Amino acid sequence: MSDHTSAAPAGSADTRDAPEYVCDVCGRAFYTDDLLVLHRGVRHPSVLDEAERDAYRDAYAAEERAIRSFRIRALGILVLLYFGFLFLYVFYAS
Amino acid sequence: MRPENPSQSDHDEDLPTDCSETAPERRGGAIGPRGARIGAFALALVGVLLLARGVAASNAAVGLSEASREGLAIPRWLYVATGGAAIGASALLAGFVTDRGFVNRVHEWRRDFGTRERLRGVGMAVGSLLGALLIALIVYRGVTGPQVSTINFAVVVVFAGGRAGLTMAAYAIGNPWPALNPFRAVTSRVPTGVVDYPERLGRWPAVAGILLLIWVETTTGVTSKPSLLAAAVAGYAVVALAGAVLVGSDAWFRNADPVSAFFRFYGRVAPLAWEDGRLRLSLPAMRLVEDWAEESRRDGGDGQTVVDADDTRLVSGLDDVAIAVALVWELTFSGFVTTEQGASVIRAVVGVGLPPILVYAVLFVGGFAVFYGAFLGAARVAVRRILTTRTPRELVVAFAPSLLVIAAGYHLAHYFAFFLSLLPSLSAVLADPLSAPANPVVFTLPAWVSALNIVFVLGGHLVAIWVAHSTAYRLFPSRLQAIRSQYPFVFVMIGYTAVSLWLISLPATTPAFLG
Repeated sequence: MSDHTSAAPAGSADTRDAPEYVCDVCGRAFYTDDLLVLHRGVRHPSVLDEAERDAYRDAYAAEERAIRSFRIRALGILVLLYFGFLFLYVFYAS
Repeated sequence: MRPENPSQSDHDEDLPTDCSETAPERRGGAIGPRGARIGAFALALVGVLLLARGVAASNAAVGLSEASREGLAIPRWLYVATGGAAIGASALLAGFVTDRGFVNRVHEWRRDFGTRERLRGVGMAVGSLLGALLIALIVYRGVTGPQVSTINFAVVVVFAGGRAGLTMAAYAIGNPWPALNPFRAVTSRVPTGVVDYPERLGRWPAVAGILLLIWVETTTGVTSKPSLLAAAVAGYAVVALAGAVLVGSDAWFRNADPVSAFFRFYGRVAPLAWEDGRLRLSLPAMRLVEDWAEESRRDGGDGQTVVDADDTRLVSGLDDVAIAVALVWELTFSGFVTTEQGASVIRAVVGVGLPPILVYAVLFVGGFAVFYGAFLGAARVAVRRILTTRTPRELVVAFAPSLLVIAAGYHLAHYFAFFLSLLPSLSAVLADPLSAPANPVVFTLPAWVSALNIVFVLGGHLVAIWVAHSTAYRLFPSRLQAIRSQYPFVFVMIGYTAVSLWLISLPATTPAFLG
């Protein structure tokens, strides 16, 4: 439970401290503050107060930015795959 | 499908609580969820259409099947690589779908048909009578009928009807075995349960039973010798009845009976099922995304999750994971040993000086262990790469159901053409069980039917990617965690797709040293 936000996107495998952020509704533990905020917003939205809801929105927006970056890289790989196979087929299947 | 102006009260608990979810999707020009799915399907279709001719997939029932030999117009490595790339590309495309609400709506959609008590009662009664009659006829005709497998009631019904047809019905429509199971019908009406089923055995006996049944099917002559098949079916009947009387009907058929486990796991892929006593329709394979991720943990514990007494999950432990892996592996194994290349590999190894049965046993059990280990290893790698308190065991239990739709795809690839071509034989023996058909008819299928095998293999993997994606969203609070958690599994699945596509393109033969 926290009422401050951090801008770092969740999910990177940093140095492993003990997971300190514990959800008081279901008891799950998390390694970062962001993950706990997201967890509470997704799983227990009814117990959030106003500050927590703001924190959840901020974490969600930060996540969106990271997802957009993932999408661009994924799109690049897909384009490479497509053209790579296109040329393979042109070469080997004609 | 998305709410235009989401407000606080509209949401179920998994939707974000504001509307900034929808706006960035449109502003950024990112591909929406429908576009992503259409893109994935188009990619897979391109992969399939680029293959000039079809492939014929082999299966274990070589006593009955004659696979056609078709050539490929492109190099085999290119065909295999395309399949692997289709899976990888689909996994990337699935990462484009990030709307939690949409993902949940897809796998939570249900159409309710009510309790249908009378239908259920009649169905169970008719079904168990039918099942008892069929089992009796199988044993009787296996012994007294013509000892030629293609016209014998026992062989045709067990392999074309049961192994192929009933399994397809199980994952395409709904699990028929609880209705058909005569042993359960008998033992649930008599006092049973001499001893308590030891809980710590879990479903490992079912794992052993499934592996044993596949072993019997592959290495003994049951697919070509009807009397042997009759003996095997009679033996299974005795074991089932004795086991049910010993530990109780429910405990036996839930935990130890391999056939019930086989059909229950495949039946989870199907859209129709009885849930809480009501007949409900869901989207195909979407019941594989299980509710388990919402259970709570006791803190200070040893990492064990608390399991509810009336747990409706299909997979709740490593024994269930082993069943799912076994179902996928057995198709690959029987697909492998019934191909020419597989047979020559076996011959080469036996030529070194090992007994054939040992070679088959090592391949069978060893391959199963390798696949099981790869699946667990992928879970360990996933847990290391993302910052999560979920254990590898939790991941592997959560993602095991997605293996079942892969198994369904492989099963279709290996048995669909087989079932279709033997359909007239099956209906002939069913119509007149006590006399042998004079002139058994077998359909010869057009070549394009065998191209469907590739569609089935790839389709199974694509749906499994979606199921795993939905499951990952239930497991992790961060969507990036969910996407990242999939990478190791996708690599394992690309490898497995490559192997399976390669296998179904090989010409079939009888296994070396068997049959």
